[in-house]
Amino acid sequence: MAPIVQCMGLTKTYGRKIALNQIYLNLERSRIIGLLGPNGSGKTTLIKIMNGLLKPTAGDVLINGQRPGIDTKFRISYLPERTYLNPGMKVIEVVQYFQDFYPDFRMDRAYDMLSRLQIQPNERLKNLSKGTKEKVQLILVMSRDADLYILDEPIAGVDPASRDYILHTIVSNYNRNASILLSTHLISDVENILDEVVFIKYGSIVLQAGAEQIRQNEHKSIDRFFREVFAC
Amino acid sequence: MLGKLMKYEWKATWKFLCIANLMIVVMTIIADVTVKLDFFAYDSDSMLQFIAMMVMMTYVLSMFAMVIGVAIFLVYRFYTSTYSDQGYLLHTLPVDKHHIIIAKVLVSALWIILCEAVMYLSVVVLIASNGELVETITDSMETIISLAIAENVQLKGLAMVMTLIALLFNLFAKLLKVTACISLGQLSANHKLLFSVLYYFGIYVVQKIFSGFYFVFTVAMIRKDNYEMELYGWESMLVSGIIYSVVFYLITWYVMDKKLNLE
Repeated sequence: MAPIVQCMGLTKTYGRKIALNQIYLNLERSRIIGLLGPNGSGKTTLIKIMNGLLKPTAGDVLINGQRPGIDTKFRISYLPERTYLNPGMKVIEVVQYFQDFYPDFRMDRAYDMLSRLQIQPNERLKNLSKGTKEKVQLILVMSRDADLYILDEPIAGVDPASRDYILHTIVSNYNRNASILLSTHLISDVENILDEVVFIKYGSIVLQAGAEQIRQNEHKSIDRFFREVFAC
Repeated sequence: MLGKLMKYEWKATWKFLCIANLMIVVMTIIADVTVKLDFFAYDSDSMLQFIAMMVMMTYVLSMFAMVIGVAIFLVYRFYTSTYSDQGYLLHTLPVDKHHIIIAKVLVSALWIILCEAVMYLSVVVLIASNGELVETITDSMETIISLAIAENVQLKGLAMVMTLIALLFNLFAKLLKVTACISLGQLSANHKLLFSVLYYFGIYVVQKIFSGFYFVFTVAMIRKDNYEMELYGWESMLVSGIIYSVVFYLITWYVMDKKLNLE
């Protein structure tokens, strides 16, 4: 089968600034892949292009063999790095919203996760804390049976205890035939769940390798190796 | 998906707009009572007349507030749901961009028509405040019926329908002008809202220039060939409404579909 994601010479510039520089990248199916890089390295830009929120300056990206569009949006479950839900809506309303638009949305799974976190369905989003809002978003995204989950900094804004819950939620709820692309700069928190890592620096891919392969070849953790590669 | 998009657009807007309409209803009732009690008949320096004047002034101001408030609310709603954080959700839904634009414009148009109907009824109620509402409505109906059975019945009936259609397209054109300007503003790297406003005024000037040319051309035609045509009849209103609607729709769609730039 063709890779779930194929980037071919993907380039994005903002004026003179190069955000992504000639990226060639294939991501295989049924893998948890860490997109790792420091702030401003181009992780979010790459993810936005995959989701059709930005247009590349040059090159192409294919998801399931198709350019970003309606068909790929049916297959990608995307968690952005910001709160994207209407704060005036109730939790129950956003669950219904996802149910209405995504045929692969599993309402029972969403309510199960909400009840385990004791999030009241009738609560308005604007009354929830930032961390709880992020958890609601993650629950919505992970309640889909997608082919590709793209999670942009899912643990950046939450406390360490919540990070464990979020990672547990990700690992225990995704469709096993799907891939997860997880962007973060908090390597130590996620490295145990990763099958593969992609290092991105100044808009270029500097490494793509299996997580175990790095540990064996470098004799160090991915976090340690990351710090060496990205040392200032 | 269009129906679902419209449903959620309606849900996201109904509260504010219902409150705005309710405000007009309440102000109409208060103003109506003031007129019926004939507070204006008292001495000019009496407190009752002062209160009556304040009530009427508040009524007029509430009308202005309604018009401005609804316009700002709908523009703000389009911007936040399409090009701010909420746009991340909207643009990752598996829906056609045409459906997004159509849903937003149709719901906004529906609200504007409802608000204008409420304002119109409010004025009718006040005009007919002294128990003459039924007569006013009856008179209006009689006038309309007499027009319908008049000599040029077909022409007048057609003109009325076409004028309503032209007004509808002009409403779409105004709404789509706003969506096009906000969309164009997103193309700039910085100060997106400022550029949206600048685009709006730029397009406004271009439209004025076009209408100026049209005016000069039509006057020249009338003088030269003695044409029997109206300068601002429904024909010109309909044509300009359709052209502007199509142009602004295509700009909005092009930016949203081909040049989306959610930074």
